[in-house]
Amino acid sequence: MKKMWKSLFGICVAVGFISQSYAEPAPTKQQMMIEDCHVEGIRSQVRCGKLTVPENYNKPTDATLDVNFVVLPAHDNSKNNTPMMFLAGGPGQAAAQMASGILRMFSEVRKTRDIILVDQRGTGQSNGLQCNNFEDYDLYEDITDDMSSQDILDCLADFNVDLSHYNTTNAIRDFDALRDALSIEKIALYGGSYGTRAALVYMNMFPQHIESVVLDSVGPVEIQIGLFGQTGARSYQLLLENCQLDEACHQAFPNLDEEFQALIERVEAEPIRATVMHPTLGSPTEFVISRTKLISTLRLQLYFMQGRQFVPYVIHQAYLGNYLPLAGLVAQSGGDESGQIHAGLLFNILCSEDYPLVKQNQWQADADNNFGRNEAQKNWHLACGVWPTYEVEREYFKPVTADIPTLIMSGKLDPVTPPSYGDITDKTLPNSRHIVVKNASHIVVSSPCAIDLVNEFLTNKDPQAIDDTCLVEIEDERFITHVNGSN
Amino acid sequence: MIQFNALFSKEIKEAIRDKRALMAAFTMAFLAPVMIFVMSKMAIKEAVETPPAYVNISGGEYAPALMKHLADDNVFPMSEVEDADKVMWEKRNIEVFIPADFEESLLAGTSINVVLRADYGEKAHQSIIRRVRDSVYSYSRQIGYQRIMMRGIDVKLLRPINLAEQDTQKPSSNATFISLMLSIYLLFGAFFSGLSVAIDTSAGERERNVLEILLCQPVSTMKVVLAKLFAATTIALIGVVLTLILSTIAVGFVDLSQLGLTFNLDMKTAISLLILLIPICFFASALQLFFAFNAKTFKEAQSLVSIIIMLPGMIPFALSMMNDRPQWLDWAPISGQYLIMEDLFKGDPVGFGVLLVTGAFTVLMTVILVKVMAERLKSEKVVLALS
Repeated sequence: MKKMWKSLFGICVAVGFISQSYAEPAPTKQQMMIEDCHVEGIRSQVRCGKLTVPENYNKPTDATLDVNFVVLPAHDNSKNNTPMMFLAGGPGQAAAQMASGILRMFSEVRKTRDIILVDQRGTGQSNGLQCNNFEDYDLYEDITDDMSSQDILDCLADFNVDLSHYNTTNAIRDFDALRDALSIEKIALYGGSYGTRAALVYMNMFPQHIESVVLDSVGPVEIQIGLFGQTGARSYQLLLENCQLDEACHQAFPNLDEEFQALIERVEAEPIRATVMHPTLGSPTEFVISRTKLISTLRLQLYFMQGRQFVPYVIHQAYLGNYLPLAGLVAQSGGDESGQIHAGLLFNILCSEDYPLVKQNQWQADADNNFGRNEAQKNWHLACGVWPTYEVEREYFKPVTADIPTLIMSGKLDPVTPPSYGDITDKTLPNSRHIVVKNASHIVVSSPCAIDLVNEFLTNKDPQAIDDTCLVEIEDERFITHVNGSN
Repeated sequence: MIQFNALFSKEIKEAIRDKRALMAAFTMAFLAPVMIFVMSKMAIKEAVETPPAYVNISGGEYAPALMKHLADDNVFPMSEVEDADKVMWEKRNIEVFIPADFEESLLAGTSINVVLRADYGEKAHQSIIRRVRDSVYSYSRQIGYQRIMMRGIDVKLLRPINLAEQDTQKPSSNATFISLMLSIYLLFGAFFSGLSVAIDTSAGERERNVLEILLCQPVSTMKVVLAKLFAATTIALIGVVLTLILSTIAVGFVDLSQLGLTFNLDMKTAISLLILLIPICFFASALQLFFAFNAKTFKEAQSLVSIIIMLPGMIPFALSMMNDRPQWLDWAPISGQYLIMEDLFKGDPVGFGVLLVTGAFTVLMTVILVKVMAERLKSEKVVLALS
């Protein structure tokens, strides 16, 4: 779910290229091809491959599709340790595209075990379902509020595959086929965000093939993805509280929430039009700020600690009529293609697997909050209103009870998968432990303490035995209070 | 053949008669694993640990955020040092000066002059200096990015070029420092283990007047030389194999996974190494015999041969200093074998042809040495060391 909005609003998403060279053999069914290659952002050679799988597993002789994957080989080539498969978020993030970022976080894990990154079908080079027409929006001048169902239909018209097979359960079948093709008897799983949902379904489908599981920022099968209103407001509320607790922040922004609410009223009246210097081009440009743009930009910052530190200052300045800090945030959100969401796959999965299960009163209750209002759900209604649906294999979405060692981690400040979600999954799993990291947001492994816990867990496979003392040393949240920095 | 066998068994018997001398000859085999073990442990400690560093910071109170950033990078002010290490850190005396107007300048957006003062020549200081410098720079850069962003400027403008580096080294390389050490030890083993036998059987026998008696028998000098060569080579080879086995076992006790490294010697590599080292063992023994025979006295032989065993240390060292080395070094004895061993351990493909050519060249040199020795032993002057 991370960063979903920025791609949803079509903010300058250029398709990310991975510099791989393939000697393409004529693909035959269930065939795997793997070779040494270089991927973006990693200096040393890694392994790239493609696995040919049936598009429809019930008709294995019909159409096929090539699933793209990258293996970050362990430094230690003893092959003593079980490889770890990384299940990306979204749905719609392409794991192989994120290789360099994943390596940075998991470098300790990679020393002794292979890390396998698969582009889930419908992402990256596994037939990525990208809505290219969303890219025409200008980050600054355009607002996405007037996106219509026609835009969705235009996007749909671009796809010439049978979308009903681009679902979670088939993605898991692909992952497990790859596990088999790589001759791995049992695999370790790391799922982040939607990747946890994928991991949970994997645990229901093929428990015998999984050695251990790390669930980072859990999207439980019991909770529908898409209700981000209340969870976002909770994260914002914690930000307000932490700002009040921080001496400098409290002094600089004593009335932060009042200013934010006033700002919302201002944009609700009519979109703000400010002439600013274009953040990238340097020429005068009109920066149009609608309620959607304001909220989605700020909401995105709540996902990660580096983003959160700017929020009080940006709100305060915007309240005073200086929209440059906000423009700086908007600029930063564009152009980073490695974690982009493939909107086609996002809508395809959520509109069938989650959206239909949400009741009308749930949407209303979710919109009743003091931060994001109903902004997060507007696009679901727009897209899922016209998106074709498929039959979901519900038996695999039941609460997971598989007896597999599982480490569950949540960031206390997470705006989409709060710690309470981790508790839900923790309750049904027989061999699990839920660890909440105090000063972390969405995707906990970005903190050095958490990655140590993951490494220890993958080695010992006993969630109860993990030594979590490093969590105590994590400091309180801090904020930027001045344009030139804080001391 | 019967004559050769008799000569050979005589030489071997003599070689293994003195058990203490024999054990001394295998010192290299026992020393190498110990050295590799200790050196690896030290290398791991240095590479993996970022031990806390203590720096004399004055004015730390003016920049709490910078102090926290340094602490995150395991750099602490002297006040936090434990008593046991206090003297050492005070002696190192790496100083950082933070000006009193730090905050004022920060908020005003003017440059802040922070001073880092230390003895840059001291090796122990260098990694600490680098850590302090990197930490201050990364803090500085972080603030720079924030300032730019909060002014509504795209921070990506600060990175006009993104240099994507691509390393073509095979990802499955063994722990290089271990394989380099092992390569040199194996070469040393080849030269060192047969040394005592080579001197004793030539210069030694001459002083004991055994050589003279031997050459009075109705056997060709060629057979005498060959028997001595094979005896010395056998001992050298045992030394090399022992070094290889014991080192591999010793490496097993080093937890290389901390470095994310591995060292394993598969059958194929082990066999390739042996094919590579057998000619070298012959060459080493031949060279030692040659010089020992040429020496007038046992003492002289010892000195001359001691210089020879420095070759396997000197040649790899010289090779490592050369960036563009001439082609013939690929085939020359010792250098050729060393270069092939490097490739073998790195996991680069080593052609059978190269193995053969290098081996053949070494064998050729050995044959020439043997021929010359056999010829020279026909002369009374050489046998009796007359001048």
